Amino acid sequence: MAPLLVTGYSMLSALGTGRQQHLDALAAGRSGLGAHPIELDFETAAGAVRQALPELPAELQPWSTRLARMAYALLQELDEPLRRARETWRPDRIAVLLGTSTAGAETTEVAYKQFVDQGSFPRDYDFQRQHTFGAVLSIVRQLAGVDGPSWMASTACTSSGKTFATAQRLIAAGAIDAAIVGGLDTLCTMTLTGFHALQALDSAPCRPFREDRNGISIGEGGAFALVERAGDARVAIEGIGETSDAYHISAPHPEGSGAQAAMREALERAGRAPEDVHHVNAHGTGTRLNDTAEANAIQCVLGTEVPTVSTKAYTGHTLGAAAAIEMAFAACAIEEGWIPPAIGDGDIDPKIEVKIPTQKTSGTFERVLSNSFAFGGNNVSLLVARA
Amino acid sequence: MSAPTVHVAGVGLWMQRYPSAAAWAARAPEASEEPLKPKGEAFDRVNRRRASQMGRAIGDAVCEAMAHASVEPRTTPVIVGSSIGEASAMIGLLDQMWRSDEPMSPAVFTVSVHNAASGLLSISMKNKGYTTSIAADYDTPAATLLEGIGLLATGHEAVCCVCADEDSPRSLLEHAPNWDMLAGAVVLTRSRTGGALADLTVEGIGDGDLDTAGVDDAFGHNPQIGMIDLIDAAQRGATGALRLDRGKGRGYLAKLRS
Repeated sequence: MAPLLVTGYSMLSALGTGRQQHLDALAAGRSGLGAHPIELDFETAAGAVRQALPELPAELQPWSTRLARMAYALLQELDEPLRRARETWRPDRIAVLLGTSTAGAETTEVAYKQFVDQGSFPRDYDFQRQHTFGAVLSIVRQLAGVDGPSWMASTACTSSGKTFATAQRLIAAGAIDAAIVGGLDTLCTMTLTGFHALQALDSAPCRPFREDRNGISIGEGGAFALVERAGDARVAIEGIGETSDAYHISAPHPEGSGAQAAMREALERAGRAPEDVHHVNAHGTGTRLNDTAEANAIQCVLGTEVPTVSTKAYTGHTLGAAAAIEMAFAACAIEEGWIPPAIGDGDIDPKIEVKIPTQKTSGTFERVLSNSFAFGGNNVSLLVARA
Repeated sequence: MSAPTVHVAGVGLWMQRYPSAAAWAARAPEASEEPLKPKGEAFDRVNRRRASQMGRAIGDAVCEAMAHASVEPRTTPVIVGSSIGEASAMIGLLDQMWRSDEPMSPAVFTVSVHNAASGLLSISMKNKGYTTSIAADYDTPAATLLEGIGLLATGHEAVCCVCADEDSPRSLLEHAPNWDMLAGAVVLTRSRTGGALADLTVEGIGDGDLDTAGVDDAFGHNPQIGMIDLIDAAQRGATGALRLDRGKGRGYLAKLRS
């Protein structure tokens, strides 16, 4: 398959809105993890989006949720490449393929609390316009002025990574010419409480690959990318691996066998060798099992010398949005010629043999492998390259 | 849209009274006093316990379709389409959070994700390849077929597309039509096989000319009814255009030729 050309991308997270705010935080090694607005009976840091989100136009107010307003912010950042794409391709040939884990759960949990407390839902709560996976698709199509096929991938923490693969296939099949891909997710009580119940949350900001790491910090945000059959692209997705562990619903295979297979498949589809990879943006959630399994997998596939960083120490784990945000960080590394330091308290785990640079590293990064792994044993690896 | 033509090589379904495509084709409802429950035989013992009723219905439909098409469960990609996914698990978690002082169940949390069924199926079927879970409200059947067609166009020989939604969450849908659970699966192949039921192309928005399956309203409002309509048309050997959303979505068409 031809490489998937990325002709524009936008991002939103605890680090800010847009490419420059993210670059500033990554270059400075500044984490966005900290206090969050959700009331909980346990301690945890989170990557909350603190900046104001744009209000939807008046006619779309019935669809207004935090998730939809995040989508609007991401589209505003993508305005210029989208305008060019609409001039090049028919609107019904531009797809909207997004990923989310929570969809409108943040809105529903607030509404449901009122239902429990007062016996009725808020007057403006609408399950179909505000909760379902399809609700945001409709908003994005209208705001972006496109009318192609659209769906949400929801495979937990690989969701937005899957959208790049789908777009690549649909372009190759001749079904579409371009797509808005990526994903988004919001913080919600249910997710934080669920990961706490699994004893997977760190009470302090997460410390991927550190010796005393103790779990995840959840984040929120998203990233959209415009991908096209042809166009002026600085980066491309050369190969994508999609595999399953077929092992356990929530625990990774101890040797990371599914992760290895995903990385190998991405390389194979791109026609590249392990030595062609210059940096790994790791899934790196900060849990003991995940980081060990992933480090083993990276070592088996790429050896120990490829600098590997988990940017979840900056943004938190943004769940369904993570793969898209981290694809954007991979693109930044290629375009800017540096990778951010691996941040987090404590020493790097001496049992982890892959190289984890704790300083900003400058160099030429032609290809970056970006990993995402999920509940269900679902794995996605994206090989991002200079176009 | 110009998606490639593929072939319907096997079908499977689960609906109340009709727990298989074979029962539906024969219009032979189960004569049971009690409501039927999906068997979930696609799952190993541990994962059958973890799977929701919808997950088990998905498993039943997938097994029937794969057996019908004679494809290998260990290697055939499975695409699960569902509009609201594991909504009852989510409501259970909300009840735990807001109504009781009980701590949240980590076991329920892990299977509240949209891809719980596809993950449990991949584990039980020992399928280490591709699987996904997608959603697009009433356009989910069209989206699921398109995702499958993309895979077939880029190297896979066969895929299984399954669409399911559990009973509607009545407390959250006070003013909208409610529906009952159903699951429908088709195995699509790149090459036409001897037993293929129909050639299939998914086309852009338009009007259909094929009759939809004669089901109760309770099923007719299910966002995945388009997949049952497709299975029904393929079983009847129909040729023509079928709207995959019963007028409630964007109007994607399945063009069938027997």
